[in-house]
Amino acid sequence: MLRRSSPALLVGIAVTLALAAVLLVDVSGAHALPTGGEPAAPGQQIAPQEEEREPEANLPFLFAVFIITWAAFFAYLFFTARRQREMQREIEALKAVLAERESNGPAGSGTREE
Amino acid sequence: MADRAESIDVRRRGGGNALVWRDGLLILAGLLMGLALYLIFLWVPTELNLGVSQRIFYFHVPIGWLGMLSIIVVAIASLLHLATGRERWDSLAYSAAELGVVFATLIIVTGSIWAKPAFGVWWTWDPKLTTTLILWFIYVGYLMIRAYAPKGSQGARYGAVVALIGAIDAPIIYMATIWWERGAHPSNNIPQDLDGRMLLTFLVSLAAFTVLYVYMLMERYSLRRAEAALDEAIRNAA
Repeated sequence: MLRRSSPALLVGIAVTLALAAVLLVDVSGAHALPTGGEPAAPGQQIAPQEEEREPEANLPFLFAVFIITWAAFFAYLFFTARRQREMQREIEALKAVLAERESNGPAGSGTREE
Repeated sequence: MADRAESIDVRRRGGGNALVWRDGLLILAGLLMGLALYLIFLWVPTELNLGVSQRIFYFHVPIGWLGMLSIIVVAIASLLHLATGRERWDSLAYSAAELGVVFATLIIVTGSIWAKPAFGVWWTWDPKLTTTLILWFIYVGYLMIRAYAPKGSQGARYGAVVALIGAIDAPIIYMATIWWERGAHPSNNIPQDLDGRMLLTFLVSLAAFTVLYVYMLMERYSLRRAEAALDEAIRNAA
């Protein structure tokens, strides 16, 4: 049971990161730095870039965060629901085994009676 | 034995008061989240320097708080499991760790997206960011130990030890901006002159994510308990 949950979780993380990568490549293409996209020098990292003066310039970043956050939550809920369905199948199988045992009860386990 | 299977089935459906509580929490989370989204996208004023990217804070900070809270929950539940040996504490620890991975991943991803317009880089080895990445590895390490350690109480004990050591990281993350003041990450303090509408939006968003987290934790805990009971029933039936 423990082993079953980890691959689902890792797939969820991978999907989230992949989605993030796709969105961010798109976003960074639309908002390349004036210097040609080079990262800021360590001493200049705190200073906002010039294009930030435009209030809505970074709207895609906000939407990227929104989409990724909800995609991650829904992915997690999806895998939780899938796990519940698997459990339901296991319960049905267990019930069938137990019902079969009960119907064959005296013959299958009945050495003590004799 | 049949009674056992029936009891699992009932627990899986979450009957009784627990189900009412969980449904209530889900409805509350939905309402608060709807209100938070309205406030974030339509109502709150735009910050002058960072523009709309500052609104990422209303997602990032609550997620960050819950990511740190999760490791504390994992550690306390693990400690109680070690002290009492009760499986319910282990179930709680495992459920919180699984949610912790989700939230820690989101902290890093949303923080990175915010860092690009704010600092000009996706990632920097700032103390706060680095200790948060360590937290993510702790969560993943915990779940890997639980997945590959021997089944039963031994694996739970190994995981509990990792969780207790990992919890040390939570106060370090919080204090990182105080201990290492030259880092790029902003400080933890809410500015005194913060606009009232921004503060309200932040608090509503914090409440919405916290209620959602509690709901998800209750759901996962319930499922985890049912998984454990089913495993036990299968072992007994074998």
